[in-house]
Amino acid sequence: MDRARPFPNVVLIVLMLGGAVAWLTLPAISVAPNRIVQGTPQHAVAALGWGPTLLVLMPMLAMAVLAWRPTPRRLPGVLALVIVLLIAIPLWLSGVAASMEPTARLGIGSALWCLLFIGLLALIELRSRLALSRPLGWALLVPVVLVWWGCLTQWLAPLALYREYQGRSDQFYAALAQHLMLVGAAVSAAIVLGAGLALAMRRHSRLRRAGFGVLNVLQTIPSIALFGLLLAPLAWLSARFDWLADLGVSGIGWAPAWLALLGYSLLPMVRNIFVALDEVDPAVIESARGMGMSRRQVFLQVRLPLALPVVLEGVRITTVQAIGLTAVAALIGAGGLGTFVFQGLGQAAMDLVLLGALPIIALALIADALLSALTDVLRQGGTT
Amino acid sequence: MRGNAAAALRWSRRVGWWKPLAWLGLLLALCLGMGGLEGLFRWLEPDSRQVLYARSSFLVLLGQHVMVVGLASLAAVILGVGGAVAVTRPFGRDFLPLVSQLASIGQTFPPVAVLALAVPVLGFGTLPIIVALLLYGLLPIVRNTLAGIQGIDPGVHEAARGMGMTRGQILRQVELPLAAPVMLAGVRTSVTINVATAAIGATVGATNLGDPIISGIVNGNTAYVLQGALLIGILAITVDSTFERVQSWLVQRD
Amino acid sequence: MIELFGVTKRFGEEVAVDDISLRVAKGELCALVGTSGCGKSTTLRMINRLIEHTEGEIHLDGQPVRTFDEVALRRRIGYVIQNTGLFPHWTVARNIGLVPRLLKWPRQRVRERVEELMVLLGLPMAEFAGKYPHQLSGGQAQRVGVARALAADPEILLMDEPFGALDPITRESLQLELLDLQARLHKTIVFVTHDMDEALRLADRLVVMRQGRIVQQGSPVELLHDPVDDFVASLLGGQSRGLKEAALTRVRDRMLPLGPRLLAHERVAVDAPLSQALSLMLWHRVDRLTVVDDNDIPIGELSLRRLVGSKA
Repeated sequence: MDRARPFPNVVLIVLMLGGAVAWLTLPAISVAPNRIVQGTPQHAVAALGWGPTLLVLMPMLAMAVLAWRPTPRRLPGVLALVIVLLIAIPLWLSGVAASMEPTARLGIGSALWCLLFIGLLALIELRSRLALSRPLGWALLVPVVLVWWGCLTQWLAPLALYREYQGRSDQFYAALAQHLMLVGAAVSAAIVLGAGLALAMRRHSRLRRAGFGVLNVLQTIPSIALFGLLLAPLAWLSARFDWLADLGVSGIGWAPAWLALLGYSLLPMVRNIFVALDEVDPAVIESARGMGMSRRQVFLQVRLPLALPVVLEGVRITTVQAIGLTAVAALIGAGGLGTFVFQGLGQAAMDLVLLGALPIIALALIADALLSALTDVLRQGGTT
Repeated sequence: MRGNAAAALRWSRRVGWWKPLAWLGLLLALCLGMGGLEGLFRWLEPDSRQVLYARSSFLVLLGQHVMVVGLASLAAVILGVGGAVAVTRPFGRDFLPLVSQLASIGQTFPPVAVLALAVPVLGFGTLPIIVALLLYGLLPIVRNTLAGIQGIDPGVHEAARGMGMTRGQILRQVELPLAAPVMLAGVRTSVTINVATAAIGATVGATNLGDPIISGIVNGNTAYVLQGALLIGILAITVDSTFERVQSWLVQRD
Repeated sequence: MIELFGVTKRFGEEVAVDDISLRVAKGELCALVGTSGCGKSTTLRMINRLIEHTEGEIHLDGQPVRTFDEVALRRRIGYVIQNTGLFPHWTVARNIGLVPRLLKWPRQRVRERVEELMVLLGLPMAEFAGKYPHQLSGGQAQRVGVARALAADPEILLMDEPFGALDPITRESLQLELLDLQARLHKTIVFVTHDMDEALRLADRLVVMRQGRIVQQGSPVELLHDPVDDFVASLLGGQSRGLKEAALTRVRDRMLPLGPRLLAHERVAVDAPLSQALSLMLWHRVDRLTVVDDNDIPIGELSLRRLVGSKA
């Protein structure tokens, strides 16, 4: 019997043709003789000639062709080609770097950013078309990351972003650690406090209304304003009480940042814990009681395990939010990766901005992925 | 009995609008009369020569802030709703999985990072901020519009087609009105984030209510910081309580 | 009049409707019956082109449906579905007035028509016009659904398991109302259901479908008497078919004129179904009933032998 031929996958075709056009028409790199001078943009062909340019172009065109008749057997091929494309980019860059002066700095141009973005979009599209699981989707990125890493350490020394990193690698790890510490401290405090608050709210409906009211208002206040509003009272407190000052509490620094982060984290935390405990199917609780479980047993063995995935969802939202907000906290001297962002913005050093912003995004994505995966696992266990 | 209930409803609605109006009044009063609080700021910051931010009037800063957020949000609503509608039509359906995944993954990106990334691409000033806010603000709007349209009972859609409504009529008379409450919630999220992110825009050369904060931090002047923070906080609450009213009006209407 | 000539529908490789031909005369109520997934809903939805047929032709009053503009076509065909599909953000009155408004009737005429329909379907204007669908009971909502379908006075009505989600009592009363409406309006109705009792009660013509094909069609009595195979027989109730048929036959058809014998004590109405007469005999343990007219005046008698139809 004649198998129905699948319709062209318009999405992939549009992405790949768009990518090809961007690759040929936008500047792929910028080259600067040193840190101070603005780089001059260069097109791919001008940088390394036609041969390597076409090598990068090939996987895109091949994908567009395969996507014209995306049979189930061809789609994995397309997936492989996306990986090839994402691996080809650092190799191509390494080629460029090899032909450069040792002091020169290599910047990534808009064409390359476009290709990276398009590659990731294609990955997302293919993941949903092939119905790949989340972990498998992430596993696909492993070879890409490895090749990038290898190229960076071996050949990509002139890359400006890498230079910025090398110039302050100690600071970088300190900032990363600070960032994680602040997020961790705020989220774990929010879990403890939030759980207590949610449990109290289940008992007292008046507290519930007042609590959610206050937390909702708090959530709408912009972070920069809340940091600012905490500045004065904390400065005053630390001036008044020496032991607070000894602890390192002051108007700027980690104290207002941590307090504000905690404030923001409470709403999603409390809301999810409350909803989680509240929305366990009453029939299940009823039958647990009916079997003769005590209140305590019902809570520990039935309600809590069933509520856990929703609670974890709250932890995920809170963590991702806190990672972003901690970046803002750098403004009030709390440290963290945001420091590079604002330093870079202050000095108009864009690669320094990237050095801060890219890891922040990566952290948010990783936290999101890990906690989602954990939620999935718990949910499977909880429902089967 | 019925008359009473209607009167009570009208009353509650009028009272409801008081809240955003009161916040707006407070905001404007603070903008105009910040000088009246000079004593407080002087007490807070006794060593500084100047305790009132004077580089620009607060009203101008507020106007700038509102304009940037307003423009970005307006554009985000038009593009976001348009995009979400497009990918739920037959001609754009191919893009639906990608767009909806992108909208949810994109929201994982911290807004500050998006703002920071906009600068290398677009440069300093007000325009890059508007573009960054627009891009980030798109995500909740797209996501909620999709959720709103996809959440409509398939039977309603089937009946609308079966009754002989054209695609345009179904969109305007059925899909958009039914999705409106969810869409509005998305717009609310988007605008709330934009008010906050715009303030951080002061670090990349925009003039708005973030200015006093940044300059206060740079110069070690707590009074400036407090002035900016107060105004931004009240602006955010004003905007949010306005949305709250509009949302409950939309729900009561049905 | 609706005619289907060799109509086939494929979804990809799967054949949902396989070469069916069917003719529904004007004013006829035709029920499509079958287990779920047999293609009956697909057949219905091909008539108003919510689904396009792959092969064959569908004619409306002798004209192929493909020659109509699909939107215009649907506006002249009433459509009722199981979960009503009422617009939740519109009032009852606005829902009912939908198609007339789409057809750009003058406002006054729309209002009059809505009022007329609400009276027709027993929905008092004062109480229901301003209500929203979520404020209605299931039966009320489906009444609004029927009113909406009838609004532009279409000749044809397509009904897809309209009463499937209702409780048995509401369902029965709506079935009777539909029969009553049909007696007055004489629409051409195609009615999809999986409930054989509903089909037997309502239909002038029954079409039994299985795996996309028509297995048998005919009047309810024809099918009961002569099911073409075991599938149709079991769908019709297997061994209790006799009772189902008895429910379709009136006492009038079997009674004899009053004879010389004494009147039997127990009485049965002349328009009652035979099943009721049989039930009375079983209950009172008698084998003879007196048949009475509307005014309770004896006009004949019915014996058990006559009831079961034996020749002697």
